[in-house]
Amino acid sequence: MSRAASTNEPTTDTPPEDIAKSSKAVGEPLVTVENLTKRFPIKKGIIFQREVAAVHAVEDVSFAIYPGETLGLVGESGCGKSTTARVLLKLIEPTSGKITFEGEDITGLNKRQMRPMRRQAQMMFQDPYASLNPRQTIGQIIGAPFRIHKLSGDTKQKVQELMERVGLNPEHYNRYAHEFSGGQRQRIGVARALALRPKLIVCDEPVSALDVSIQAQVLNLFEDLQEEFGLTYLFISHDLGVVRHISDRIAVMYLGHIVEVATADELYNNPKHPYTAALLSAVPKGKVGTQVTTRTVLTGDVPSPVNPPSGCPFHPRCPKARQVAGGDGVPENCRVELPPLGEVVENHHAACWYPLEESEELAKAAHA
Amino acid sequence: MTQIGEPILEVKDLKVHFPTPDGMVKAVDGLTFTVHRGETFGIVGESGSGKSVTCLTALGLIKRESAQISGEVLFEGHDLLKLSNEDLRPIRGKALSMIFQDPFACLHPFYRVGDQIVEAIQCHDSCDKKEARNRTVELLSAVGIPQPDDRFRDYPHQFSGGMRQRAMIAMALAHNPSLLIADEPTTALDVTVQAQILELIDHIKQEFNIGVILITHDLGVVADVAQSVMVMYAGRAVEYGSRDEVFSGPLHPYTWGLLESIPNIDRKGARLVPIEGAPPSLIRVPTGCSFNPRCPHRFDPCDKDRPELLDRGGGHPEACHLRVEDKKRLWNEREAGRVEEVAS
Repeated sequence: MSRAASTNEPTTDTPPEDIAKSSKAVGEPLVTVENLTKRFPIKKGIIFQREVAAVHAVEDVSFAIYPGETLGLVGESGCGKSTTARVLLKLIEPTSGKITFEGEDITGLNKRQMRPMRRQAQMMFQDPYASLNPRQTIGQIIGAPFRIHKLSGDTKQKVQELMERVGLNPEHYNRYAHEFSGGQRQRIGVARALALRPKLIVCDEPVSALDVSIQAQVLNLFEDLQEEFGLTYLFISHDLGVVRHISDRIAVMYLGHIVEVATADELYNNPKHPYTAALLSAVPKGKVGTQVTTRTVLTGDVPSPVNPPSGCPFHPRCPKARQVAGGDGVPENCRVELPPLGEVVENHHAACWYPLEESEELAKAAHA
Repeated sequence: MTQIGEPILEVKDLKVHFPTPDGMVKAVDGLTFTVHRGETFGIVGESGSGKSVTCLTALGLIKRESAQISGEVLFEGHDLLKLSNEDLRPIRGKALSMIFQDPFACLHPFYRVGDQIVEAIQCHDSCDKKEARNRTVELLSAVGIPQPDDRFRDYPHQFSGGMRQRAMIAMALAHNPSLLIADEPTTALDVTVQAQILELIDHIKQEFNIGVILITHDLGVVADVAQSVMVMYAGRAVEYGSRDEVFSGPLHPYTWGLLESIPNIDRKGARLVPIEGAPPSLIRVPTGCSFNPRCPHRFDPCDKDRPELLDRGGGHPEACHLRVEDKKRLWNEREAGRVEEVAS
């Protein structure tokens, strides 16, 4: 059983900008994140609060995004996707780690110092109902970035141009959010994010709340805008089909760790981490002939991020580890030591002691 | 493979209209279908197409004072629409049970999960508490909850989303129903958990030989687990057939649009082809075919005559005025176009 370990020895300490580069990775990265960690303390006591535990939301995450590229971030709920995005934009302070934007270290900047950077990096949210102020008109909502950054000029005209660009009727300038459908509201969110011509847009599940026919319209809009304005996206979604469609490169997260990074095609055709393989096989294919029974169904739930498992976070559910150990056990190194995110094949990084061989089938995990 | 048995639920020309100050909302407008024993019947459609209202009406969960309901829903020899609330009670939750979309909202946060299932059992069976408890533990283990003895005493917040949905399924199975209605049972869950729950529902269906109605907006889920599929748009069925018929030879432009707007996980597709526009308001449903304003193939009669759900020679019923040969040609062209686009 030493074959996997010896042939695919993971390399440690790859600099974030070299992790699984896509063809769009030219020049300097727009954003780099190094060893980013975020823990939310859990406190007890009424007057004398003491920290009793911490939620390990993001653990030692490193990646880089190059200009014009779309990095997809996938994972199940609670795996730290959104926290990573929020920390990246410094909406939450990181516990440790370093964030660089256009070569400048922004980790230690305070709110005021962040202002100029905020023009360059905007965010889009999941819920088109909660992310728009119901008491403001669309004109006010999309014009807010101009107001906040005290930009002169004809705001109304600029807003109407934006509305036209994202496919809204500019005459609806004075309407309120409730007068629009879900898809139109998401377009309003896009227009607001686009207002200051940012370089980076962080999209946190932007199409999850939409019906499929509308979802396709919004995804096409994202692609058009990227081409037109040279945008860079960090695209978060739990929908693996959507992420594959839009991303150049994809990072898979599990319990706060990035477990695999590769270009979209490589990741879907040749997953190396058992978790990625299981995740992909769980997606209904929408094709006649695929049956539920041929899937790798993971048993159990994601462990609590308050008490993450030792060693590899995936080892309690990993079918491959059981295969390697034979029977119900788990190999020693999976249980004890955290596998580093190493290059398994060229431009394909995975954090696993026993990465999958090409077209290796995962055994169906036995039911508990 | 699963044996498809005798019909258990027959819905005939069901109409559910809600009067509102703005006009009549035609949530369901003439729907006919049959569900058989041993069959998973998938109902697909976008939000507001009337999927849930259909099933809520069948269960008598739509207040009759607030809606105008007509048609027939035949289940085990009864027309459910004609039964009074008292007569419905022995059927609902017993022979006919339902699981809902949001497992977080369906369990009472103040009561232990086990006690809630015990209540569901005692509601129809006059057994003592101890027996009900034993059955609950059996049910919990049948739906795959580990250590059911201990988990019996847990509160809902101690359960994960997938486990809550399992508990809801246990509750629905308490009285060996002959028909299980699952309204978007996996929408709130992650894909890995979704796979577990779908497998569980499939397993239960085969083991107890019951019928399952699976309501979903996810065509992928339907293609995986259903035997029959009904595609709904604006309160009416636009296409109805076996899974193989609908997925390999869809005959309605709306089904084409749905199939084409899903990003494919198997290959990085070319540009998505969305359906133009948005679903219509159910108060002002377009005249003629309700899909005509969004349909790329509309022609003369589409905005005047409403197409009925008929088998026009394509092998399964659909509601579109185009000739079957044209539809087959158009779909083949669309498919060929997509393959070409990917190849280039």
